[in-house]
Amino acid sequence: MFKKVTLALAALLVALGVQAQEPTGGVKGSVVSRTDRAPIQNAAITLVQGTVTVAETVTDEQGAFLIPHLENGMYDLIVNAAEYLETRVNVNVNDGYVKNLFTISLTLVKSEVTDEFFEEFDMDDTGYADTPTILFGQNDVFNNIAGYNFSAVRFRARGYASETQDVYVAGVRLNDAVTGYSPYSLWSGLNEATRTKSSVSGSEISDYGVGGYNGLTNLPLNASNVRTGWRGSVLTNSALYRLRLMLTYASGRLDNGWSYAFNASVRMGGNDWVRGVYYRSFAYYGAVEKFFNDTHKLGFVFMAAPGERGKANASTQEVYDLMGDNMYNSNWGYQNGKVRNSRVSITHEPIAILKYDFTPSDKFKGSATLLYRFGRNGNTALDWYDAADPRPDYYKNLPSYFYMENTDYKRLNPAKAAWARDSWDYQIPEIVHVDWDRMINVNSQNYEEGERRAKYIVQERRVDQKDFNAAVNFRWRTAKNFTLTGGADIRVNQTEFFNVVNDLLGGDYFLDVDNFAERDFAAYPTMVQNDLDYFMHEGHARKVRKGDKYGNDYYAQIRNGNLWASGRLTLGNFSANVAGRAGFSAFWREGLVRKGLFPGVTETGAQIIWNGQSITTYDDEGQPITSYGTSKVQKFFTYSGKVNLNYVIKGGHRFYASGGYFNEAPHFNQAFMSPRTRNSVVPNLTTTKILTGDVNYQFSSNGYNVRLTGYYTTIKDQSKVMSFFDDSQNSMTNFAMSGIDERHVGLEFGFKVPTFIPNLSLQGVLSYGKYIYTSNPKMYQTVDNNATIVADTYGVTIPYWKSHPTEDGGTVQHYVPSTPQLAASLGFAWNKNYWFIDADVDYFDKAYLDMNPLYRTDMATAGPDKMVTYTEVDYMASQEKFDPAWLVNVSVGKSWYIHRKYQLGFSLNVKNVLNNKSVKTGGYEQTRIVENTSGKERYYRFDPKYFYMAGTNYMLNIYFRF
Amino acid sequence: MRKILYSLAFAAVLLVSCEEWEPVFTKYEDEPTFKPVEMTPNITIAELKALYQKEGDPVKIDEELIIGGQVVSEDRSGNIYKELYIQDASGAISIKMGQYSMYNDYKPGQWVYVKCSGLTLGSYSGMLQLGFMDPSGDYETAYLEEKNIIATHVFKGKLDTPVQPLEMKEADLVEALKEGSLKSDKFGRLVTLKGLKYNGKIFCLVYIDYDKDTKLASNRIFLSDQTYGVTTWAMTKNGFLAYLNAGNFDKATSSAPYYPDRASTSVADLKDILIKNASAYSVSQYFIVGKTDVQIRTSGYARFADSQMDPRILTGEVTIDVTGILAIYNGGIQFTLIDENSISINE
Repeated sequence: MFKKVTLALAALLVALGVQAQEPTGGVKGSVVSRTDRAPIQNAAITLVQGTVTVAETVTDEQGAFLIPHLENGMYDLIVNAAEYLETRVNVNVNDGYVKNLFTISLTLVKSEVTDEFFEEFDMDDTGYADTPTILFGQNDVFNNIAGYNFSAVRFRARGYASETQDVYVAGVRLNDAVTGYSPYSLWSGLNEATRTKSSVSGSEISDYGVGGYNGLTNLPLNASNVRTGWRGSVLTNSALYRLRLMLTYASGRLDNGWSYAFNASVRMGGNDWVRGVYYRSFAYYGAVEKFFNDTHKLGFVFMAAPGERGKANASTQEVYDLMGDNMYNSNWGYQNGKVRNSRVSITHEPIAILKYDFTPSDKFKGSATLLYRFGRNGNTALDWYDAADPRPDYYKNLPSYFYMENTDYKRLNPAKAAWARDSWDYQIPEIVHVDWDRMINVNSQNYEEGERRAKYIVQERRVDQKDFNAAVNFRWRTAKNFTLTGGADIRVNQTEFFNVVNDLLGGDYFLDVDNFAERDFAAYPTMVQNDLDYFMHEGHARKVRKGDKYGNDYYAQIRNGNLWASGRLTLGNFSANVAGRAGFSAFWREGLVRKGLFPGVTETGAQIIWNGQSITTYDDEGQPITSYGTSKVQKFFTYSGKVNLNYVIKGGHRFYASGGYFNEAPHFNQAFMSPRTRNSVVPNLTTTKILTGDVNYQFSSNGYNVRLTGYYTTIKDQSKVMSFFDDSQNSMTNFAMSGIDERHVGLEFGFKVPTFIPNLSLQGVLSYGKYIYTSNPKMYQTVDNNATIVADTYGVTIPYWKSHPTEDGGTVQHYVPSTPQLAASLGFAWNKNYWFIDADVDYFDKAYLDMNPLYRTDMATAGPDKMVTYTEVDYMASQEKFDPAWLVNVSVGKSWYIHRKYQLGFSLNVKNVLNNKSVKTGGYEQTRIVENTSGKERYYRFDPKYFYMAGTNYMLNIYFRF
Repeated sequence: MRKILYSLAFAAVLLVSCEEWEPVFTKYEDEPTFKPVEMTPNITIAELKALYQKEGDPVKIDEELIIGGQVVSEDRSGNIYKELYIQDASGAISIKMGQYSMYNDYKPGQWVYVKCSGLTLGSYSGMLQLGFMDPSGDYETAYLEEKNIIATHVFKGKLDTPVQPLEMKEADLVEALKEGSLKSDKFGRLVTLKGLKYNGKIFCLVYIDYDKDTKLASNRIFLSDQTYGVTTWAMTKNGFLAYLNAGNFDKATSSAPYYPDRASTSVADLKDILIKNASAYSVSQYFIVGKTDVQIRTSGYARFADSQMDPRILTGEVTIDVTGILAIYNGGIQFTLIDENSISINE
């Protein structure tokens, strides 16, 4: 109110002034967001001369403003808008002209996508990381606040998996071909080059493609979209790495039509919270672009984020309690007194982009993009052959392995448990950390035939992609109120999965045989070979040395193609958008080595013969089980359709609704029973079907910014594959689930409103959902060593997946895990004179632990006596709910203009001010069971493993623009 | 401008230098650091064993006793497992380590010292073992097992040439049996027995359901007093299944019905259950030297469990010499092969 009055008075004063003098000079322009170039409405424009305010106004719906009737002279124009940093521009009005400043772009207060989003959950061996939903950089009040405040607890918008979020680069969808995961880690450290982006959320329709149901973000990455000028920054933080240095330069569009830009950074060091974790990461980006005229434009981009990163691991609560530290990391240990991490990600995956834009008129624009991703993606891990498990938090090293109060466990030796507790209490380094020195001693003493045969090595699991993409897009305004967009794309991906010897740890060679196969088939020399062809040719197993491939080696071959179109009709305040996509997806496995367990047949179809006997094995349908060569091609027809309706009421109100149906192909990583070893496909593989709808209300005016959304989504027929040691089978097994159905329903509310104190806004978000499993999927379990079907767990339903019964006749629902289903934040934002201060209190609840399907089977709940009781079902099938958590975050920042030419600024973010160290952010259940119980009536679970959030941590960023 | 650049550079230098910002090193020399422990034993293995007086009465050692000996066992083949046999001039003893793949850390011939204080000396069917106290009472000693217990009690000394096996004739065996396991210094030693002749019978205990009470007589099927056509040293799970499916054990029975609804307690009538519950099984192959029985007991988890014995051994055409650990089991000689190379055929 106060502001309104001041504005009105100011306008009046200006108007009075105009009448008196009527000078003809002025200044005009339009204000846009730097991230997506979207116009910013209601930005406050203040024109000052020295300390005197000359004029004030606000921008209109197109972000435009005009201050007329100015006398010639030097002015400072100050632009303020909610959620954006205050920006100053100096204006020289002369000769009585209206000076056109064209566009003034504003930077979001909190626009750093920090690396914490790429901190990986190392839950599988694929070398892939799962990352949470990234909401940043969208011009939306909910997403901006939730994106920043909820990232630390790995919040996923609407409970959707991260791979449902479409990420486009220069108009090409770049979600991982093998897993579908969002590819942000490919450009981590290139914050400046990737700052400009445009996004839609939910199932809104984007200009770049039909998209899915969890938003679409496009990063243009072209040179002319990088902010002109130099910018350098120094960043230090306490939760990830010690230091980041970054330098950026962009030329802007030069008179000769060229633009060029580069961005480079280095991230180094460890952090205060997790030992063994470190960064040695670099990033580079170079782009050139040529405007041949207003019609033709050609751009080229080359970038990558190479480097090494030491990773953290999850442990059980017992281990964390013993260490007195929920941030304990079991991956590292001392080698000759120095800290060494066994799990390091080593990557260098460049992306090259060539993009051509064609804009023959203001009614039509088209583009064509070629994109190629290649390089190496590796993750190291310990590998060992016939030697003790070197992982320090292995269950046999813990007190609970020796003594449990419940005598049914048959763990009855409290004295041994006391010794084990001492190991951890005194933190004996050889026991509570990886004992590198011992492994090197073992290797260097293990002479076989005159050479040191390594028993422990560091392996590097490689997932190297060759990913070729081509896409064309167009946007055609056929009539004043109708716009047609559309495009086509193809993708050819060949990803090689293999292992490499990274470090022999003092040994001379490692023998390429299968340790697990040897346990069952030691008397059958062909069956233990990882490379049977080599063995049959040479008569002995292959000795591998540093840099050699070993273990397994296969291609994922993936081919995709899509056609899509979208039409947008506008009738007054009402608009409707209809979009559709049709495509195909095909993939197959191509084994590059012949494994002894599954030799298959020769090229001519003959059996493989060794010592006069056939060693070819067959599945239940009489087909040879094959490790070498190509599998059956899996083909899927996919399609999707969407409708968006939008109604705008004057005064900043907007109602909109979306609906969509999607029929999506499964990913390669969900399709093979045991891709490391054989071509067998998961039975009944089918497409995933998603039906979604949402209704939204938005209000945006005079510094008020509110959004309310309700959504409803069903996801059907998902599948999942895993491999684990099954104690009841006493062997490694492959486990596939299909027909996993989910329902996600909930609401999102976000607001930012001015308060009676000038420049102070109140802001908050609420995300409240119910994300549940609605089906009991089918399971297919096979024994890894011989592909035989496990009778009781093949092709049968997992009875306690979606819920489990209780003795009193009730039902306990099971939830979609790994995100809080209730997340709320309330705080204030103050922004004046290049200062900003933000403080927020967050609350999270209803987060659940990821479930292991084995614990929901009849086998596990029945126990050895095969008798199912309510007690057993409730014990075994229950899902853990995490404790609710409170968090407080504070940010402060300031920037200074120096000589009207340079800008120096800083931002300091302090997260988790209350130093809450007991917030679980994720984890998983182990698949193992305690089977040898004294009563032989029931099984017990192994303890689950958790990831925790760091305590109080800061990030200080100092930047300089010139 | 220059000042600002300088101050930024200064800030960067400050950040780099004031913290250990690279706490993890990544360039390693994989140099071995093993330093053998030097210790002086204050008691011989025989003297230690002499502390054990009576079967069923394990001895907890409280004195600071240190024994030292050379490693004579090796678990590479998996036939000996979780136990480490050390031997000095006076005798040999098994240390119940409770670890797998110990051959990586303890080499044949290597000196090993044991601080016995806190450990328990006990017997298993006549064989003396040094282990940890077992409050469950199932055994006289428990495995040491826990890394900290091992680290503070069992010390690795210098590598040395492997101990030569002691050659024993029938008379020596008879004498050792007569002295008994507590008196004789032969048990637990690495020995070579010569001229063993196949005696045409095996012993093997099969469980109908491993998951149930394995002490129930009705859950047990004894394969004994004949060969059952078993021509391997032992049976892995796959080996057991092969014999089972071929009908080798069809006539064997348990002493009481485990599944009353079955026609009989014979393997033939329980075959579907036995296939489902199949497991690896140890087998004792009976040999004879002179008039003395020697059962060679091999674990179903040994790598050579499924290896076929030379047919000439089975027909009695040839005798064999074996090297391994001499043990006593219920008053008879039980012999444990180190690995498949421990057998040599007398052509």
